[in-house]
Amino acid sequence: MNKQMHDLAVWSIEKAKAAGADDCRVSINSRRFVEISYRERKPETIKEASTRNLYIEIYADNRYSGQSTSDLRQDELKDFISNAVTTTKLLAEDPFRTLPEPKYYQGRADIELGIRDADYEKLTPESRHALVKAIEDTSLAKGGEKVISVTASQYDTCGESITITSNGFEGYREYTQYSAGAGITLQDEGDRRPNGYHYVTCVKKDNIPSAEQIGTIAAQRTLDLLGGKKIPTETLPVIIENRVVPRLLGGLLSPMNGGNIQQKRSFLADKKGQKIASDELTLIDDPFIVGGLGSRLYDGDGFATKKRVMIESGVLKEFFIDWYYSRKLECEPTTGGSSNIIIPPGERTVKDIMKDLGRGIFVTGFIGGNSNSTTGDASVGIIGHLFENGQPTQAIAEMNIADNHLKFWHKLVEVANDPWIYSSQRTPSLVFTDVVVSGA
Amino acid sequence: MKPITRRSFLRRAAGTTITAAMAPTLTSCISDITQAPKTGYFESEFGITDSMCRKVLAEALSKGGDFADLYFEHTISNWVILEDGKVNQAYCDVSLGVGIRTVKGDQVGYGFTQELTAKSMMAAASTAATIAAASPNEPAGEFVETKFKNHYPMEKLLTSVPFESRLPIVQNTNDKCFALSPLIVKVNAGLNDEQKRIMVVTSDGRKAEDLLPRGYLYASVVAEKDGKRERASWNLGGRRDFSYYSPTVVNEVAQEAVDRVLILFEAVQPPAGEIPVVLGPGVTGILLHEAIGHGMEADFNRKGISTYSTMIDRKVAEPFVTIIDDGTNLKLSGSLNVDDEATPGQKTVLVENGILRSYMHDKISAKHYKVKPTGNGRRESYQHYVIPRMRNTYMLPGPATPEEVIKTAKNGIYVQNVSNGQVKIGEGDFAFYVSQGQMIEDGKLTAPIKDINIMGNGPKMLKNVTMVANDLQMYQGGAGMCGKNGQGVPVGFGLPTALVKSMTVGGTKA
Repeated sequence: MNKQMHDLAVWSIEKAKAAGADDCRVSINSRRFVEISYRERKPETIKEASTRNLYIEIYADNRYSGQSTSDLRQDELKDFISNAVTTTKLLAEDPFRTLPEPKYYQGRADIELGIRDADYEKLTPESRHALVKAIEDTSLAKGGEKVISVTASQYDTCGESITITSNGFEGYREYTQYSAGAGITLQDEGDRRPNGYHYVTCVKKDNIPSAEQIGTIAAQRTLDLLGGKKIPTETLPVIIENRVVPRLLGGLLSPMNGGNIQQKRSFLADKKGQKIASDELTLIDDPFIVGGLGSRLYDGDGFATKKRVMIESGVLKEFFIDWYYSRKLECEPTTGGSSNIIIPPGERTVKDIMKDLGRGIFVTGFIGGNSNSTTGDASVGIIGHLFENGQPTQAIAEMNIADNHLKFWHKLVEVANDPWIYSSQRTPSLVFTDVVVSGA
Repeated sequence: MKPITRRSFLRRAAGTTITAAMAPTLTSCISDITQAPKTGYFESEFGITDSMCRKVLAEALSKGGDFADLYFEHTISNWVILEDGKVNQAYCDVSLGVGIRTVKGDQVGYGFTQELTAKSMMAAASTAATIAAASPNEPAGEFVETKFKNHYPMEKLLTSVPFESRLPIVQNTNDKCFALSPLIVKVNAGLNDEQKRIMVVTSDGRKAEDLLPRGYLYASVVAEKDGKRERASWNLGGRRDFSYYSPTVVNEVAQEAVDRVLILFEAVQPPAGEIPVVLGPGVTGILLHEAIGHGMEADFNRKGISTYSTMIDRKVAEPFVTIIDDGTNLKLSGSLNVDDEATPGQKTVLVENGILRSYMHDKISAKHYKVKPTGNGRRESYQHYVIPRMRNTYMLPGPATPEEVIKTAKNGIYVQNVSNGQVKIGEGDFAFYVSQGQMIEDGKLTAPIKDINIMGNGPKMLKNVTMVANDLQMYQGGAGMCGKNGQGVPVGFGLPTALVKSMTVGGTKA
């Protein structure tokens, strides 16, 4: 526990209460980060800084506001908090706005989440530069003669946050995060210059793959885009690559949120206990994965976190409902948002699945598009390639898939065995049949 | 509700134009030459003197950087939000800090601090300096203030407006939405206002201070009919002071949001495939911004990443197509008196009568191309370094009428509102979500459409613009934010009705 941050949070609560707040929650976040990128075998950017921010939520006379500042000079902060309380009292009453009942704070798991790398301080400017240089070298070498530009980069951060409420909650966490990767541009036919990339993010430096591996994959993913063009509109099987599944899944997670349900913006509001997807879809919210990018012992309300099965064999089991919307909806709260999202992996590799499917589209990226949480209608541009006889035959561009989520997820026929571990959403590749792929 | 007819659409558009007389369209966008904001804010509030700036710049150049700059920022943002009939949430954010950049060739070192003390600033400058490794350079001996025109004069500072004045505006927006239709079941409304003060001090002896207002009023409504629900939203705003949010603006926000949701109950999905697309005027300018504008930002071209890298002085469109990026429009979201490198706000012709004439430059790219910076050097905040960004991007009006354009399309779709656009810079491929539009059948507007994607390729689309009408409208919303390299900045856009002879429309019907 950082005593200085703790003392500032306690002091802020005292000042808010002295100014007339009934209750409040204070969060202070502090972090240091370093960002380095290379291009043309020299540093393109070097960026390094520390930030600190205070966020205070005021509950006064059944009214509520949230206020944040990076100006932590004590006199300024005192005025800021006093003004925050005054402002709050000018709003309309909202009887649903209270701090949670303290019973929800209880039962915090006694697990070491492993979200801080003990070796973070051992990082040196030299080791950072060496990693980025090596990624650039490999990307250039593997990209070959068609390379126009390579930008290799790394980012690391080490931070801590504390949250204290006036009704007895205290939470503190320290974390680290590393990202590394490369973006590559190649010369294609005519004026086309495909941009590809590969980035990974981890809690621990040792879990970052080698620079050679990162550069090789970045180059291969970009080479795979060469010759991209649209094919005629057709109904085909589609495999969505593991790393881009979260974009698709977002259209299903958003309407599971309590705010969208209470505000009548959810096409899933009346679907709890019903089948909304094929048997292949099980979706778990697991806050306890060691080294998970979304791992946590308490959520934004201070609730002790729990592992939850949200969708089981296609049946919608739970919603993400925070304290405020649980009161509005008159139901038990769960948690306000996801931690680590898990889709249990299947048995087979994407390669094996492709062989069986024969002909279809392997989607490796999305572009533009949207998903309407009120109606479930979704439409999104796709990037990837056509495969025939189980082998990639043609990169595709300017194509699209569209459907309603309530129909689309019933078309899920298989889950591959390749969860993408460099995200809080550890999703494997997913296989759908009978998808209309729009093109020429 | 009946499908919207062309005539009723034009009537509604005319209504929009009446309001837009107060919220200026492009024709009234020539700025008043009003006084620039007063200078000296950072010195009087935080004790930032020229001599302190010189010391920090000297530290930033201590390892041989070619150039360095300081970007001071103090921003206060307010949000007042209504849910379930009451204005019952407020949020405020105060952002204070300074970003220090050292440039060596095209390399950038960057540090920032939230503490405006000499010690913290020297430490950040020392970080920025590490991009270079040579003998120290010296900053200029004195700083000359950059002169500029004020494109967003304010009668009253937003920070001097009593907080409670915001509440009835939001409440009235809610009440108006419910009064307009019994089908409305939920309204979320809100007012955002932001007052940003910046000061840029450069090692080559420039200094500029600006005061940038920004805000918007929005309504998001859910309607229910025969067991179906639909949602739509609308907002108005820009770089305006508080007096803008009059009852007329409240009414227009509510009317647009409600009209836009009710029409969706009748919407159909067009067949998937390649068809002619007519882009309606105004908000569809976002397509111009994404599909074409980003590829003309000079950093992408300097690095050879953009598909437009080799197209300067080449024909990229028909002779009736001229595309502008402009910081001088009066009170629009992307307007800038001065950019974040102290270059005065200006108007840049990107495509002139079909020929690509210029990219959008910051100082680094301008040096690379041996041209003057175009005032497009922008950043999200003191925590970010400058990169070339768009301001207000629009196409000039053409010779046709909107009716002629729709008639010429014959069979296709008419796009009225788009969102979530994205482009792949190197390929030029883009995709957009059409949240509202209409079918065009036999040269006439027929059934409404919704929730489809349109895809294309920027350079191809530009070549495929075969007609442009005389009805340019600038988008008057204030919520338009553009994302690039993890930085969001407010932008504006506009378009006259334009025909693209073929684009791919996504759908569920093969």
